[in-house]
Amino acid sequence: MDDVKKNVTADFIMSILLIIFGILIGWASLNMRVYNKFLDAPGFFPLILGIIFVVLGTIMLISAVKRKALEQVQEVLHKDRVVGFFKHDQFKRVMILIALMAVYIFGLIGNMHFTIATAIYLFATFLYLRSSSVIKIIIISIVTAALISAVFKNFFNIPLP
Amino acid sequence: MFSTFLHELTLFGGALGVALTPINILVVMGATVMGILVGAIPGLTATMALALLINLTYGMDLMIAIAFLLGVYVGAVMGGCNAAIMVNIPGTPSAAATALDGFVLARQGKGGLAIGTGTVASFIGMVVSVLVLIFLSPFIYRIALRFGQWEYFLLSVFGIMICGNLSTGKDPIKGWVVGFLGFFTAMIGLEQVYAYPRFTFGSLQLMGGIQLIPALIGVFGISEVLFVLQEKVPYKIEGTVGKVVPTWKIIKQIFPTAVRSGFIGVGIGAVPGAGEDIGAWVSYDIGRRRSKHGHEYGKGSLEGLAAAETANNAVVGGAMIPLMTLAVPGSPPAAMFLAAIWLHGVRPGPMLPVENPGFLYIVAIMLMLASISMLIFGLLLAKPMAVVLRLKREILMPIIVPLTVIGAYAGGVRVFDITVMFIFGLIGYVLRKFDYPMAPLVLGIILGPMADISFRQALMQSRGSLLPLLPRPIGAILLIAIIFIAVSGIRRAVEHTREERKRIEQEQNMGSGS
Repeated sequence: MDDVKKNVTADFIMSILLIIFGILIGWASLNMRVYNKFLDAPGFFPLILGIIFVVLGTIMLISAVKRKALEQVQEVLHKDRVVGFFKHDQFKRVMILIALMAVYIFGLIGNMHFTIATAIYLFATFLYLRSSSVIKIIIISIVTAALISAVFKNFFNIPLP
Repeated sequence: MFSTFLHELTLFGGALGVALTPINILVVMGATVMGILVGAIPGLTATMALALLINLTYGMDLMIAIAFLLGVYVGAVMGGCNAAIMVNIPGTPSAAATALDGFVLARQGKGGLAIGTGTVASFIGMVVSVLVLIFLSPFIYRIALRFGQWEYFLLSVFGIMICGNLSTGKDPIKGWVVGFLGFFTAMIGLEQVYAYPRFTFGSLQLMGGIQLIPALIGVFGISEVLFVLQEKVPYKIEGTVGKVVPTWKIIKQIFPTAVRSGFIGVGIGAVPGAGEDIGAWVSYDIGRRRSKHGHEYGKGSLEGLAAAETANNAVVGGAMIPLMTLAVPGSPPAAMFLAAIWLHGVRPGPMLPVENPGFLYIVAIMLMLASISMLIFGLLLAKPMAVVLRLKREILMPIIVPLTVIGAYAGGVRVFDITVMFIFGLIGYVLRKFDYPMAPLVLGIILGPMADISFRQALMQSRGSLLPLLPRPIGAILLIAIIFIAVSGIRRAVEHTREERKRIEQEQNMGSGS
């Protein structure tokens, strides 16, 4: 039942976002340059997409309101529940995994050799996931990073970032 | 008529000569084994594997690239049954229906027999689908030649609508939202007629548009890694593998179901974006209702297992029909294959027989080679696969991340593409978390440019009026189909709303009663 409530809340929020998104697309499309006729203008098709998003968002909104979304939103977004969500194991786990990926992509790659960056990322992620013992993790990280770099660069002739 | 037949026969003979070289056969065999291994590991899907491997094929000869990708595709779809049967976790989503009977058989110590039967059923499905691909495609080419801009626009919308409808359980609106978001993604960058920058916010990087392959790798790579690793779900192998090769009696027993499921799989595969998992579920459901032994389905029925396994592999060939004839992929892995052959300059569609005569037959022959390879290695690898299934996902999944980075970067050698891949991965994860399907998104990104340009050109040709376009027969059929899907989808969504409202009210009443 909790899942149903969460889904209703998610649908309600998504529907509002979709309507706003549709309006913004429509507005941006109407401001695009018209070269010849509006029918072949660059903004014509995005304008139609904007209208479709507003229509689909409205259908979702009506559906969510009929499923008592306003009551569910208050319940689901209650302070205790929101705090509980942020403290939930799964949320923390996903956030940490995303943070590790972000550090790897935006922080390590480009600032050091790809192989070293990959080895550091793999080591940190394996360590967080407790994939194996520390010694094994170090060995797997280094060997995997070196292997990936060698295979792609030398065997497949693919450029590495 | 006879001369057409002779012409097609000559093309087929030529295709045999091109496809059946020792190097192609070796590549198909190696790729099929690789596909079976990938498919067997829970979390590594056929779509993800193809997305990661597309850029590997960039430097390959076209024939080797086709052999490689089709081998992985066919092997991965079949390989999913190993994990579904032995650990009750589908290796790929397409093997979910297989787990219903397969896992029961594994607990009875018949896991090997279930894998063997599933492999034979997959082979039958592939044979049926390749035959249909060969014989049906030439007719669809003739119809496709009559397509104008208006028909192509309607075909794109039809693809999104039906894919959105089929890929969501009860609420097709979510599928449509994601599909049209895919359309929007394709609008970003310089548009095709006037090179006008749309939604670029002055960014030079965005003017090049969102590249298809990084977006696909993000959606199917990064989001999959997060989805699998979000929970600690250990799994263990049930029972022993035991005997693998099915007896002649079993093959005779499953054969009628397998042939029927093969045709169902082809039919579902030919629907844009529908995919292997839908094919397996539809076939399983029809099989259960039509079989004399329907009551045994879900309780360890080899027939039930064959219904699901035949259909998911038959979808592979079915998905190639709209891909080859209309450039519309029938499933997410087929979308990856389309992206790969685009990289090599092959443009599928009605003009393919003119520009690349015999290409369809080359693909069909490669698929057949991959099927034979799948049958042989599927049976041989059933026992050693138990070792692969013991590999920890906590080790395998993080290794996918550097592969996604290389895959996204390699095509355009732009760091920006890695950022695109990462952002699409996060978007994909959030959407999946709230039950939004990914197949319509992929289809939307692929079909978006075609929808945009076709619609604008069709309206220009008709001087801004829809009236001259409406009586065109193929367009009229597509338009009726779109309206039908929209109306039936909205009705389903209304029913879904009513059901959930009832459940919420019942819970509220119980809460106030107590």
